[in-house]
Amino acid sequence: MALPISYHWRNLFVRKTTTLLTVLVIAAVVGVFAWMLGFAASLDRSLSQARDETKLLVLKRGATAETNSALPVDEYNNLNQLDDIARDPTTNEPLLSPEMMVQISRPRVRDGGKTWGNIALRGVTEAAFKVHRTVQPTGRVFSAGAQEVIVGVAAAQQFSGLNIGDTLELGYGNNRHYTVVGYFTADKGPAESEVWGYLPSLMNAYNRTMYSSASLRLKGGADPKKVIELIEGPKIQLSAQTEAQYWQTQSASINTYLRITKVLVAVMCLAAIFSIANTMFSMVAGRTREIAMLRTIGFSRGQILSGFVLESVFLSILGGLLGCVGCIAWLYVMGNTKDMFGSSTFTTLAFEIHLTPTNLTCALGSVIVVGVIGAWIPAMRASRVAVVTALREP
Amino acid sequence: MTITYVLMQNLKRNPLRTMLTAAAFALPMAVFVAAISLVVVLMKVAAHNEQELRLGVRQKTSLTNLLPEGMRRKIEALDPDRKQLRAVCGMRWFGGRVPDTKNTLTSLAVDADTFPVVYDDVGMAPEDTAKWMADRTACVAGSGVAEQYHWKVGGNIELESTVPPYLTLRFKIVKIMTSADRGNVFYFRRDYLEESYQAMGFASSRVHIFWIKCSTAEGLRALQAQIDQTFANSPEETKSEDENAFAANFTQAGGDIPGLMQAMAIVVVCIVGLVAGNTMMMSFRERIRELAVFKAIGFQSGRIFTIVLAESAMLSLIGSLAGVLPTAALLTLVPIRGLRMGPISSVEVSPVAVVVSIGIALIVGLAAGLLPAYQAMRLRSVDALRRIA
Repeated sequence: MALPISYHWRNLFVRKTTTLLTVLVIAAVVGVFAWMLGFAASLDRSLSQARDETKLLVLKRGATAETNSALPVDEYNNLNQLDDIARDPTTNEPLLSPEMMVQISRPRVRDGGKTWGNIALRGVTEAAFKVHRTVQPTGRVFSAGAQEVIVGVAAAQQFSGLNIGDTLELGYGNNRHYTVVGYFTADKGPAESEVWGYLPSLMNAYNRTMYSSASLRLKGGADPKKVIELIEGPKIQLSAQTEAQYWQTQSASINTYLRITKVLVAVMCLAAIFSIANTMFSMVAGRTREIAMLRTIGFSRGQILSGFVLESVFLSILGGLLGCVGCIAWLYVMGNTKDMFGSSTFTTLAFEIHLTPTNLTCALGSVIVVGVIGAWIPAMRASRVAVVTALREP
Repeated sequence: MTITYVLMQNLKRNPLRTMLTAAAFALPMAVFVAAISLVVVLMKVAAHNEQELRLGVRQKTSLTNLLPEGMRRKIEALDPDRKQLRAVCGMRWFGGRVPDTKNTLTSLAVDADTFPVVYDDVGMAPEDTAKWMADRTACVAGSGVAEQYHWKVGGNIELESTVPPYLTLRFKIVKIMTSADRGNVFYFRRDYLEESYQAMGFASSRVHIFWIKCSTAEGLRALQAQIDQTFANSPEETKSEDENAFAANFTQAGGDIPGLMQAMAIVVVCIVGLVAGNTMMMSFRERIRELAVFKAIGFQSGRIFTIVLAESAMLSLIGSLAGVLPTAALLTLVPIRGLRMGPISSVEVSPVAVVVSIGIALIVGLAAGLLPAYQAMRLRSVDALRRIA
């Protein structure tokens, strides 16, 4: 016969203060842990939309990002000679999109406009919507003849002055008035933090005669490596990378941030383990006679051991749940919007931190592991209580 | 029997608990001191920037929209007597990358004549300035990059630009800057850049930002309003910010590490408070009879209170020392470099951070010991002695 679960559960409430304090320690650690998991997952969710291996980004040699690349039109035209570009099934046009990118500063919503962020303004043609398949306008698209732009939903949400009907002052001289006429989604990818307008109109506004970059979609079965070699080869002499490679480079600084957070969380998890161990040692010490009695009436060492581990797991789950709830509440109250620079784009990637069921499960799972580790040695000690001596104690 | 003696005996009685508590205290405190160090460095940088009274003027729509270099004269003309405005320095982003690496430096081409005045905190000695003025290829590099690539004063180095037209330029180092916030910064002369641009037929004569050195804080605010007003409704509409406001835009985009660190610090204080409180409750409960005996043999309530409180404080002191000192030593010996967090390229632990950390740990320890100490003080010895622990 095993010890009833209610025996362990009720034991937690014999020493309410100690239980509460330990639960709160665990909750604080789990709260931070859950936040970090949510942050990483949301960022990953965004970047995973930009891991298309069949999409190539072409930049001028020496440039590190779309924003600092200048691609002359004649050099761009050389890309048309590539055989491996996919074609539009109806028009037979190559899926090759010339693009221009500049930055615009807009005030952040979350701090009331105290600081401003750099948003990418991308000039595109019709081809862009075929190359960047995830981009889906939710309403009207800019028309070629008018000074109009459409805004990604993340940008519209996190920066002010980017709602439908708002006027943006764009152009090199800051004197062209563009109207926001629609929003677009991009499956939560980086494009959702951008503003899109008609390429020729924007080139004119910014006095540009060159594109910034080109994006192209590969034919089914084409080898990206070979195409990249061709583009970087003597005939075209540009630099190319898959979208996945590009975003990997851009997320380098974000990864530094994540690494710092991970170290901090790991240290705090260790502290939680020590704290649980402390509590469990005290529980074991306070119940030596009780344990001895249980052993006398026939409960095995293993049962005592697992019993104490179970109590610790209860503690951890209580703390874990409280921590998760705390984290959700924190995100709700303090806001869950975040935006970060790519390493060399200097344009911002805006996203929202959402805790997914997977994050919560993972946080709870980890805290159970922490509970088991923290309780192991105290529980071992409990299972080895010298029965006769302990019963004789006052 | 002194309090210290009782204290040490009590801590030694359950060495396992003392150690576990100390460890559970030490680890979060290690996080705390690192977080606080960063915050302290940032605060120092911010305070320093504020003293430097520099006002940045950039194009309103975007920092990447360039301003004509001739605007410098127009700005200077706003204060011809130089009452508030000391000097104006135009700056252009070069995006210089160390060849064959991915490390793009904060490399900026600056107006040679006014740079030593506007950036007097770079600490150029008169002979450095003389060298800077004499050689068009002169440059000033941050200590972080200089150490990383073994650059020495007087040495020649090359950087390749990551912005059009992707020039590669050769420089001669005249000074290495030591301040923490300029580890990854590189300044060189703008006339050299312009000359090189012209040589390749790239029309330019524009800058990204003007930094204006002001005489007083009031003067800076007045100029800020005056400049934005002067250029309003012109093709070069401007947005002026002091250096801290300018930097805050980037801090947010870097994920707001200072904010993260502050949040972490708060969580850590909560954790150590709970840990200390927990331990004190446990040891108080176990020692109720003993404290009752103390009272019975004539210890005053105040003394009992002090004993419990002092034990809590002692425990947190041990814990915080165990966490803070190794971290401080580690971070001082092996400073974290290459962090791309706004202006900060390295974190070193400051004595302020260490003192603050230990101070906070002590306060937390005292606060956590208050309740058990109060209970101990109010203990009715007869009841407690009768109780079976």
